Amino acid sequence: MAKLWAIIKREYLERVRSKWFLIATFFGPIFFSAIIIVPAWLASKSKATSDVYNTTILDATGTGFGHRLAVNIAGDSTIPGRMPTVKVVAPSELTMAESLATHEVMRKQKTGYVVVNQQTLAGESARYAGTNATSIADMAQIKSAIRQTILASRLEKVGLDNEKMKEITFIPLDFSTERITERGRAGSGMASVLFGFAIGFLLYLSIVVYGQTIMSGVLEEKTTRVAEVVMSSVPTDTLLVGKVLGVGAVGLTQQILWIGTTYVLLKLRAPIMAKLGAPAVTFSLPDISLAAGILFLLFFLLGFIFYSSLYAAVGSSVNSESEARQAASPLMIMIVSTGVFIQPVLLNPTGTTAKVLSLVPISSPIIMPIRMAVTGVPPLELAGSLAFLAIGCVLALWLASRIYRVGLLMYGKRPTMKEMARWVSYAR
Amino acid sequence: MTEYAIDIVNITKRFAGHTAVRDLTLRVPTGSVYGLLGPNGAGKTTTIRMILNIIAPDSGMIHIFGRPSNDPKITERLGYLPEERGLYRKMQVRRVLKFLAELKGVRGSDADRRIDEWLERLSLKTPEKDWGLAKIDELSRGMQQKVQFIGTLLHDPDLVILDEPFSGLDPINAQALKDTVVELKHRGKTVIFSTHLMDNAERLCDSVCIIAQGEKVLDGTVTDVREEHGQRNIALALEGDGMAGVASILRDHSLVKRADDSNRFFEIELAPGADPQALLKRIVESGASVQRFEMIQPSLHQIFLQKVGARGVEERMSGHG
Ligand SMILES: Nc1ncnc2c1ncn2[C@@H]1O[C@H](COP(=O)(O)OP(=O)(O)O)[C@@H](O)[C@H]1O
Ligand SMILES: [Mg+2]
Repeated sequence: MAKLWAIIKREYLERVRSKWFLIATFFGPIFFSAIIIVPAWLASKSKATSDVYNTTILDATGTGFGHRLAVNIAGDSTIPGRMPTVKVVAPSELTMAESLATHEVMRKQKTGYVVVNQQTLAGESARYAGTNATSIADMAQIKSAIRQTILASRLEKVGLDNEKMKEITFIPLDFSTERITERGRAGSGMASVLFGFAIGFLLYLSIVVYGQTIMSGVLEEKTTRVAEVVMSSVPTDTLLVGKVLGVGAVGLTQQILWIGTTYVLLKLRAPIMAKLGAPAVTFSLPDISLAAGILFLLFFLLGFIFYSSLYAAVGSSVNSESEARQAASPLMIMIVSTGVFIQPVLLNPTGTTAKVLSLVPISSPIIMPIRMAVTGVPPLELAGSLAFLAIGCVLALWLASRIYRVGLLMYGKRPTMKEMARWVSYAR
Repeated sequence: MTEYAIDIVNITKRFAGHTAVRDLTLRVPTGSVYGLLGPNGAGKTTTIRMILNIIAPDSGMIHIFGRPSNDPKITERLGYLPEERGLYRKMQVRRVLKFLAELKGVRGSDADRRIDEWLERLSLKTPEKDWGLAKIDELSRGMQQKVQFIGTLLHDPDLVILDEPFSGLDPINAQALKDTVVELKHRGKTVIFSTHLMDNAERLCDSVCIIAQGEKVLDGTVTDVREEHGQRNIALALEGDGMAGVASILRDHSLVKRADDSNRFFEIELAPGADPQALLKRIVESGASVQRFEMIQPSLHQIFLQKVGARGVEERMSGHG
């Protein structure tokens, strides 16, 4: 036990001390909050931007319609000065005023201008011209403000007083969306898809990176012949398990640091978004219970053990980094083909593909956590997935340890698959 | 103390269709320096790995200090220097040593103290510079070998196993190694090392075992082995010219069975029934100036050549190790 501990400790400390670990741990959260903040920021674009305030209203109605429209466009904006400018013009001067306004837009003083006239009053037409004319959200907001103003002036005509009118026309509708899954409501739809993607990507990346790490570690021990010294002191199985656990602990540390700092960064997101000039969006992270969090980490750990023991076996059977890359390609194919399914599973987390992939140990450590993030997974499926993965780990470790103890002492040419299969049957 | 540090009975090890060690039996007396001799590919490393329980024999028994070699407690009494050397390149010297010590069950503070002692003793730690704080990478080859050697001896093993310890050592480090082996013996430790260089073995070993192609050729104490191989050998040293004449005499198989020619020094094995006096007479008559002509016991090198066969050795030498 003390020797296993010594091996775990060495693997852990040597890696945690390395520059690479510090850099990855530092940039990870920045990267992950970027993939969460940027889409959220882009999503916020689907709300009208501050561009709509920086417009001119050319009012040719002669009824003060423009001023009311300006108030409605500004809406409940509390920020002073955020209101379109109103120019009252005679119908005959409209052409002139429009070309002036066009120049203002071209000189970037304004985003655009609205023309309101008698047809507008009649509820027939209005015009907008500006740089943001393609922004659906901006246009929707201006259009609804115009409707609201028309409605208000009609109500006024039938003799409603100002107060009453405001009361009737003021509809600050906040339309929030929420997805419903088999297990009930699951928080903001987009947020959980993003979250699922982040989880999947994180697991995918960690398994590849740490798998390769353990492979080069084993290879180094083999080429420097340290392995032989260690093997004269501890059984090879202990060495293998110690390495897998030591590197796994590094991965776990990194995940916890990443999740922790990403969480803090997300808490600070509102001020960051404000700096970016986007209005604050209500963007609730899906509620992750402690149990779910522990399950995520469990899937990571088991998935890691599954793949890294196989990577260790590969590292022990080759003699150089380039051979190792080649020999590891079957493993890479297993992981990459799982990665290919991340998106389809996100889109259809309860489909047959998703269900099957979350049971097979090759893909389950990545696919199951994604499904858990975006949908409710029945406990039976969860238990099945974990059980299969655990069995997969035992098999992978067993297979790896057989290859490992022969491979570490075998120098010279790279073994064929057939030779490696024969190693498995060797006594020792 | 048990009588034998290593007691090997009839071990065999096969690798894919090829027998690396065949039915080998050998005993290493406790407290002795033991040489495992043989050409490259003879099975020395395989034997050593089996002693260390890195690999298991297909058949046969190995006991270390009276216990089966797979007894986990035994490993802490063994120190091992593998044939090819290397250490974790990116790791600090001190941390590597501490790790190796921990694997042998040495506790933390104890390990620190011993590491200090050893680093100072091998002048890797001086008042100016503590190489213990450097990374393995930053050390010269010679220094790395010292560190590896410290790793082998740090836990004060009772049985020290060195696989080809002299290969790649410069003369100074080789001498230091010999001194250490002698010192270990004085402290009652057992040392077994493999080599294909007979000179080192002859001077250092109490006992030897020669193996070739996985099989034991002979074993015993160096004295016994040399006595057994008789007194039919002659050491001949020449001065000045006249080599040519001597060379032709040495090719006369009625007198000389085999001659090991080192230019001015020859070790000659007489042909059966040949008279040494007749040989001396002919050499003197050829006009060569004789500096030394002495009946000697054969050297291990001679015995080795005689037993294993010069041709076999050369073929094997050029092969891989
Ligand atoms: N792990 C191994 N797998 C297959 N063959 C091996 C292995 N180790 C050694 N051999 C073979 O066994 C023979 C003896 O090798 P070895 O014990 O290394 O000899 P030595 O140390 O005396 O040079 C050689 O022919 C070698 O190729
Ligand atoms: Mg060898």
